[in-house]
Amino acid sequence: MGTVLCESCGKPLYDDDGTAPLEMRYDGVARRSQKANPTWIDKIWNFFSSVKVAVYLIIITLCGAALGTIYPQENTFLNIDPETYYRETYGLSGFIYYKLGLSHTYESWWFIGLLVMIGTSLVVCSLDRVLPLYRALSKQQIRKHLNFLERQKVTYSGPIAAPEPARAPDAQEWVERMASHLRKKRYRVYTDGTALLAEKNRFSRWGPYINHIGLIIFLLAVVLRSLPGWHMDKHIGFPEGEIKPIPDTPYYLKNEKFTVEFYKPEEMSEQFRKKNETVPKLFETKAVLYECTANCGEPGKEPVLKEAARHDILVNHPLEYKGLMAYQFDYEMKPVLLSVKAMLKNKLTGKAYGPFLIKMRNPQTVYEAGPYRLQLKDYYPDFDINEQGQPVTKSSEPNAPAFIFLITGPDLPQQGETYMYFPRQIDKQRFRQDDINGATGSRFDITVGSMNDVEVSNYISYLNIRVDRALPFIWTGAAISMLGLILGFYWQHRRIWLRIDGDRLTLGAHTNKNWFGLRREVAAALEKMGMKVDPKSLEKR
Amino acid sequence: MNIAEWSGKFFLIAFILYTASFLGFVLSLTGRKWSNRDPQEHTRRWSRMAFFLSTAGLAGHLLFFFSRWYIAGHIPTSNMFEFMTFLGMMIMAAFSVVYLIYRTPILGAFAMPVGIVILAYAAVFPREVQPLIPALKSYWLYIHVTTAATGEAFFAVGFAAGLMYLLRTVDFGAKTKQARKQQRGVEFSLLVILIIIGFIGSIFAFRSIGYEAQFSRQVVTIDENGKEQVATQTVDYVLPPLIKPYNSETVQMQPFLGLTAPLAEAPSWMNGVNAGRKLNTVVWSIIAGLVLYGVLRLALRKPLGAAISPIMEGIDPEDLDEINYRAIAIGFPIFTLGALIFAMIWAAEAWGRFWGWDPKEVWALITWLFYSAFLHLRLSRGWQGSRSAWLSVIGFIVVMFTLIGVNLVIAGLHSYAGV
Repeated sequence: MGTVLCESCGKPLYDDDGTAPLEMRYDGVARRSQKANPTWIDKIWNFFSSVKVAVYLIIITLCGAALGTIYPQENTFLNIDPETYYRETYGLSGFIYYKLGLSHTYESWWFIGLLVMIGTSLVVCSLDRVLPLYRALSKQQIRKHLNFLERQKVTYSGPIAAPEPARAPDAQEWVERMASHLRKKRYRVYTDGTALLAEKNRFSRWGPYINHIGLIIFLLAVVLRSLPGWHMDKHIGFPEGEIKPIPDTPYYLKNEKFTVEFYKPEEMSEQFRKKNETVPKLFETKAVLYECTANCGEPGKEPVLKEAARHDILVNHPLEYKGLMAYQFDYEMKPVLLSVKAMLKNKLTGKAYGPFLIKMRNPQTVYEAGPYRLQLKDYYPDFDINEQGQPVTKSSEPNAPAFIFLITGPDLPQQGETYMYFPRQIDKQRFRQDDINGATGSRFDITVGSMNDVEVSNYISYLNIRVDRALPFIWTGAAISMLGLILGFYWQHRRIWLRIDGDRLTLGAHTNKNWFGLRREVAAALEKMGMKVDPKSLEKR
Repeated sequence: MNIAEWSGKFFLIAFILYTASFLGFVLSLTGRKWSNRDPQEHTRRWSRMAFFLSTAGLAGHLLFFFSRWYIAGHIPTSNMFEFMTFLGMMIMAAFSVVYLIYRTPILGAFAMPVGIVILAYAAVFPREVQPLIPALKSYWLYIHVTTAATGEAFFAVGFAAGLMYLLRTVDFGAKTKQARKQQRGVEFSLLVILIIIGFIGSIFAFRSIGYEAQFSRQVVTIDENGKEQVATQTVDYVLPPLIKPYNSETVQMQPFLGLTAPLAEAPSWMNGVNAGRKLNTVVWSIIAGLVLYGVLRLALRKPLGAAISPIMEGIDPEDLDEINYRAIAIGFPIFTLGALIFAMIWAAEAWGRFWGWDPKEVWALITWLFYSAFLHLRLSRGWQGSRSAWLSVIGFIVVMFTLIGVNLVIAGLHSYAGV
């Protein structure tokens, strides 16, 4: 089936004696896919240009997407071994689900393949139809074949009524008056003697194609995200008070303070209070973003940092700086000692010297306390004693920090005396600091005055660090698509053709949607011309 | 009386007015054959009155909505009760829009009950005002949820029109294979609606007599230090437990009609403590729905579809087809905007990704794909009329699964809306 209607007069080319409503899609012109003798390119084109194929693709994608929601997808978990997780959690069906690859449905080749095919179908279907449709609509003939008018879905034929009973009706004048009524209804009216074509909202026909363009831009933007550097997604824990680098970027981020708040009972409604539930009110990370300007990531050198941005990160209020985004993701309550302001006390004289700041991460090597000098000989952030009785550190996290100092100064031997210091009271007792230090311990003590001299991180705030350069394209695609939908669905392309032969009017009308509205409009126009018609009677069955 | 009490009253008043309006629409059609009256005049007068009632109901509903907004300090669309009442309100609004275009009283007789059932369903969920969790503190809660619900409300009106089309066109007397298939389909759809009504009815019935049962079970988890932690989870049943949670002990159970112990235990793969309770609820709903169906069937002595269809006499099926398509065509762009585009913008802001294949997102996409397929199929010959009507009915089932089923069965990031 190629062109089914004569392109200018609208006379059906086949079945021209029939009475059934005409095939009016794309105004009856041939589409590219309807060529005779297709080559292999034509065959692929034809495949993707079929709406039927598009619908099948949509239905298959829909079913595939539904399969992916039976069990949680792998990417919903941060740390699991899917090989064992699905079997242990969901039993045999979970194992089969994993083995079929459905635990990562949306990354699987067949699902992405379906999306690519839908994209192709969008392009081909649109091109195949929009060009012939544009051609047909831009060169319309006003006087249509009678058969064309009578075989529209909305049609009317009957004698025209005279404006006054005494006068004989004049076809030319009738058409002029009809034209002015239709113009009032915002129709563009073209007349050709006793024939008339009235058309409105033709732009609505482009709605679906604009929508498809938007969807194609959207899908292309999604593809762009897989380019290197276009997309980053990391989860990083930031303990309070610590500046940590963000890998693969020149940025460092400091969590100055993390706050979690819960609703107080008086903030709840009376009924809800009875339930005795705690509901979080706020998660907030006071964050400072630094940009590294020199010595970035070079071992042994302090990076030079410049403050770039400062933002209180809340859920729904991420930090954004030049395409880098940091979202509140999670938190953990984990008290970690950061630093102490210590005093060196001479037990014999009772005099205390200091204070000096000892940091638990990257501590200084030398401290001055009055006349004394403390040199850091060894540092164990996570102190323990192994099976051979030797001191070791279990990790680089300051969970149980232990310092070995060499103290030199007045009344001390030239080579100095070693002194072991555990800042945490609990470690001091557990590892028996006083016994280790022996005689030195009876002379010296490192003390911390009050809690004000202790800096502790209470929370680790987990932030989701992201870069997504495709976002502007995503939103552009979505906006174009939406515009197309609105144009296509909230306006309808309506056309009314009529011709008068003698004193007999033949009218046909077509719309792409909302036949009810079209019938009402045609009936109203005829009524204005003194011809009372029930809108329903205009419908051709 | 304080505002909170007023708010509850407004809801009740709206519900009663909607029900009265529904009866008005039904009587505007069934009363045509009453003696000494002009049928057309009767339908005109009664449907006008019914539409007035539904509009008054909508006004009461809006008062409920805004008074609750005032009390809570945030838009009342943040939990299942609030969302469902909002959806019900939007269905009434969508019905009003479509009714004003087409002026067909029969639409009231079918669209009103859809809204009423949604509202009754909403009332099953806890009604108290809840404090807003940080994830929902965004103005996108206002925009995304309301637009999505508006789109879905038009799909609900399309569903009502589709069902009407089927009741109008299916030949309930025919014995051909094709006709029987259609009859069974209609009957099954009506049964599903009865099961939902059965669910609502049984929850309210047992709640009003104060039925309670409680189960507990031990859950062993391994903490980060590798030690076993034993926690006791308890679950409260509102409906008599035909099925108890997997591997659980009865804490207490009121006997019900000689039932003193659960009849069965949930299968082991339903390992969540609430899975057993949900399964029990499903079983109860099906039983109640079947009982309801059986009683109606006995009273009417014919299939429900055949019993309802006479009300459709004289209605032009083409009009119903048109309303079905039009409602979906109006709803589709709104749904796209609310349930996909606004959802993506919010997701990008709250979670840092515009799309994450969360079950709720996937099902919103499935709904969208389904209606896209529907709209494309309408372009093809032979897909208007009865096939369109079926698609519209199925489409609304997909919508309801997205709204309710996902929360009950799958959960995921949108789990805040669960019970």
